[in-house]
Amino acid sequence: MSGKAISYGQIWDFAVPKTVDESQRWVLSAMQRYGQELVTMLWRILGNEQDVCDAYQNTFLRLAHYEDRGKPEHIKAYIFRSASNAAISMLRRRAAERKRLSQCPRSLLCKQSSGGQDVSSPANELDSKYLQETLRCCIAQLPEHLRNAITLRDLAELSYAQIGRILGISSATARVYRCKAIQLLSVWMNKEKKERK
Amino acid sequence: MKTIKSNKKCRQIRTWLYKAISSRIGFDADWLQNHIANCPRCQRRIVSCGKVNLALSVIKSQPHKLDLLMRANAQAIGVLKHGLRQAPKAQKLRRMLPEPKLLERWGKYAHPAANAAACIAILLLMKIGVFFSMDKFQGEGQKIVKQYYSSHVGQEMADEIFTPPRTN
Repeated sequence: MSGKAISYGQIWDFAVPKTVDESQRWVLSAMQRYGQELVTMLWRILGNEQDVCDAYQNTFLRLAHYEDRGKPEHIKAYIFRSASNAAISMLRRRAAERKRLSQCPRSLLCKQSSGGQDVSSPANELDSKYLQETLRCCIAQLPEHLRNAITLRDLAELSYAQIGRILGISSATARVYRCKAIQLLSVWMNKEKKERK
Repeated sequence: MKTIKSNKKCRQIRTWLYKAISSRIGFDADWLQNHIANCPRCQRRIVSCGKVNLALSVIKSQPHKLDLLMRANAQAIGVLKHGLRQAPKAQKLRRMLPEPKLLERWGKYAHPAANAAACIAILLLMKIGVFFSMDKFQGEGQKIVKQYYSSHVGQEMADEIFTPPRTN
């Protein structure tokens, strides 16, 4: 009786990992299918290779542990949204850390990121590093719905129809959100410039 | 069939409407351009929007290292289950390099392909045109000669000459 129980136990032990592995092959397929686009988007949001690798790892780890190792209904939507959220939280954390280290207001953070140069000078106005960091700082502060729209449209370069499907909104709404995000970013970036002056 | 037709019509109407509206209230409309030229507030707004677009373009134009995808894949695979880490697909992903999209890859051939297609189309049209004209010329010529014969030799003779022989 006990021998039988042991043998069943062994069968069970061998069977479980195999079925889990088999059922999770889709994680690798998703990585193969969307990896390139995802890396591009993360690189554009974060601008740092190590951070890109960390956010990418977090995304797929989350995907592999999704609701009892199940498969989300829309894998692309899940991957892109969780990657974008992970990247934005990293950006925020990075900004907060800089703020804590330098003990300076938000307006000085971007100055620091541009190599401590005086950003108010006209020569630095078009400095690409300064522009990128300012935009990243501002994107991280956008409300979620606007942030998702601009991230997916401009940084992931998806079509409005795809964005609509990912966010569960119509493509027209996605267009409106993106437009609003640009307006808000332009106001904030202008304000940042005035604060420096 | 009906729905396809109505869809086509609907699309046509939308295109006309878009054209009509964009010519009057689009960004290139004269009155709008004149207003922007004289309104400092609008100018400021456009400049600040332009700055955001410029920053976005700068971000998009920054390239990353070629092996970034490979490294990201390797790091992500490293935290997955043992079975997945050992899968052949995982080995392939660890060595994966970014590849240009199909459209980008074949984009360089788009211009020559379009030229070749245009040449073929012109040749076809010419060939069709030449053959069609030849038939027409033959028919016209035959008519003139028949008329000449009928006026000089007689209608019956002309009919006999120009009527094709009957086959049994």
